[in-house]
Amino acid sequence: MLLLDYQNLLIESQLRERLKPDATPTTLDQIVSDFDNTTFHLSTPESKSRLLISLSIKCFPQLLQYGAQSVLEREYGPYIVTPPESGYDFSVQLDLENLPSSPEERDDLVRRISLLKRNAMAAPFEQAFDEFASLSEQAKGYTSESAPQGVREGGEVRAIQYREEEAIYIKASHDRVTVIFSTIFREETDRVFAKVFLQEFVDARKRGVQNAPQVLSRDEPPLELQGMPGLKGAKGEVTYVTFVLFPRHLTPQRRDEVISHIQTFRDYFHYHIKASKAYIHSRMRRRTADFLQVLRRARPETEEAGARERKTASGRAFRVQA
Amino acid sequence: MAPQTPAVVMDNGTGYTKLGFAGNDSPSFVFPTAIATKGPAGGAGGTGSGRPAVASKPNFLTGAGSGGGGNLSAKRGTEDLDFFIGDEALAAAAGPGYGLHYPIRHGQIENWDQMERFWSNSIFKYLRVEPEDHYFLLTEPPLNPPENRENTAEIMFESFNCAGLYIAVQAVLALAASWTSSKVQDRSLTGTVIDSGEGVTHVIPVAEGYVIGSSIKSIPIAGRDITYFVQSLLRDRGEPDSSLKTAERIKEEFCYVCPDIVKEFARFDREPDDRFKKYEVQQPGGRSVVLDVGYERFLAPEIFFNPEIYSSDFLTPLPTIVDTVIQTSPIDVRRGLYKNIVLSGGSTLYKDFGRRLQRDIRHLVDARIKASEARAGNAAKSGGLDVQVITHRRQRHGPWFGGSLLGQTPEFRSYCHTKAEYEEIGPSIVRRFALLGGPGST
Repeated sequence: MLLLDYQNLLIESQLRERLKPDATPTTLDQIVSDFDNTTFHLSTPESKSRLLISLSIKCFPQLLQYGAQSVLEREYGPYIVTPPESGYDFSVQLDLENLPSSPEERDDLVRRISLLKRNAMAAPFEQAFDEFASLSEQAKGYTSESAPQGVREGGEVRAIQYREEEAIYIKASHDRVTVIFSTIFREETDRVFAKVFLQEFVDARKRGVQNAPQVLSRDEPPLELQGMPGLKGAKGEVTYVTFVLFPRHLTPQRRDEVISHIQTFRDYFHYHIKASKAYIHSRMRRRTADFLQVLRRARPETEEAGARERKTASGRAFRVQA
Repeated sequence: MAPQTPAVVMDNGTGYTKLGFAGNDSPSFVFPTAIATKGPAGGAGGTGSGRPAVASKPNFLTGAGSGGGGNLSAKRGTEDLDFFIGDEALAAAAGPGYGLHYPIRHGQIENWDQMERFWSNSIFKYLRVEPEDHYFLLTEPPLNPPENRENTAEIMFESFNCAGLYIAVQAVLALAASWTSSKVQDRSLTGTVIDSGEGVTHVIPVAEGYVIGSSIKSIPIAGRDITYFVQSLLRDRGEPDSSLKTAERIKEEFCYVCPDIVKEFARFDREPDDRFKKYEVQQPGGRSVVLDVGYERFLAPEIFFNPEIYSSDFLTPLPTIVDTVIQTSPIDVRRGLYKNIVLSGGSTLYKDFGRRLQRDIRHLVDARIKASEARAGNAAKSGGLDVQVITHRRQRHGPWFGGSLLGQTPEFRSYCHTKAEYEEIGPSIVRRFALLGGPGST
């Protein structure tokens, strides 16, 4: 497994099971977790055929500010429940007796709901990409010198504080969209691994992957984030990873894919750090086994070859001839 | 918003792995503990680290660097990520190129490389959690060597940086799971656990949350044997389909435990319409055949109580074993062990299994009391002994459910070993542990 899935596998399998044409409705009450402290709650509070799916995500107020409501309405329109279940930020309800009949539509519904977290997080990205489109339209009339202030500078920085100490910043300009992740590594080993990985990302463009977005990583906040509130961090602990998305990444056909990919970046990153550790551990174990084998072979042979004293059953001793 | 992330409960058994979050009433994922990696199956040569990719043996005398270096350049790719676990592993192993491995044997982890990757995939692909954010509750079989606990802790803390870890004994969790039964009044961790899964059946006495290791007995009869027995009965009768899968389905759907075999045979002959069933099998060719289901309905689970009908080398019935186990335990806990006999695992789910077991054990106990009273010449009267077998609804995934129950208690986190403690003390930290759900905690 190289890439992580975008959808939540558990929600997908649960729904698929329940949306089968011949499935009998059963009660359900499950808490499902996802990356970045996201929690889902699948339940059937009223009757067995009414399935409530609630989402709790840390940065929901910020997402709303960046237009999450309209994205979610577009995706889940008629299924949204207001107000959401208490303790959660967003709820959709499925009436299992009243579903689209064709299997394709059902599949599509399952897929959409299992992408709930992805869609909620997608809002600021979509907004930024739209802003990029309008800015680049405006910028067409100007050369780089004569552009008015707003166009040259680009739009505001959208911050998503998706974890306690980590955030995504998105900024649209007329010729690119910049996405900056601030990540923290508590663990010294992890930091070393991360450095190697990030160097690979940075070097990817040199090694023939010309279409990749440009990646920069550094220890201090990049210039784009100047003046942002809440930037902190002892030096060395926080790493800022900047992705520069060029117009070719932002075409409408590519957009969804790009959003999904970039959202899973942090988890992908951590997953691979852990996978490399597992790999190194397996090599260490192999090495130890090999060394042990060498040690076992190196045992002196004199014990075996030398004449030893043996005893008979009656207790008399005799010497074994070599 | 939930301030605390739910604890992750992972129960890795020989046959199946149960994954889920504490607080849920059933595991989120149940799949075979299998991993499919590139290369041939590891059944034969999988002794060492089991990494078939590293074929050349490094030469330590002439140049350790050359061997390692050669491997390094060959391994710039991501072959180590090319594997599947669970049901996907079974599917992948059916095709070419992948070999299937079972990293756990007899309840204990044999291949740590594969287990580490198995965990990594369970966490990131199936559960989708950041190990840094969650506490983990893992299970271990009774009599697990402490070295294995240390290895587990090493992987969980050093590879995954998990926030906290608690390793619980499966039998103790199975006792905790029985608290949901209405028959249980006091939530004690004293009792006898009968854990019957796919491969083997264990009878484990637990006193105050500690396993009495010297008295554990295992019985080589479990789910798989019942399936084989059903299959042999089907074959003897010449049924049109007697595959293992069919036998398994029949076992799960139709079997029950009867109070008395002779009477049950008579009843079958008296009312054949009620008792004999039909089972329809869809065969691969698109045909379907109908099987008769007869005496195997009650004969199959009967091999627990009368093993001689199935096996020629193991002849002690389950109730006798349970009685022996309790009799070899310290005398001051025996009463508690008799009073709280808890079933766990898929092969204890037959209808009336618990009732029959309770009756048989009570017969044994009563007979012994009577004999000793007679020997005392009516000078001493026994007050009687309470024998109770607890069946409950969470039996199938008993250990997992017990873990889920304990993992959601507020004090769970204080029982866990945290990453900071691990770094302070090292892997040996898991040798000492406070008993979760023990006296004074709930």
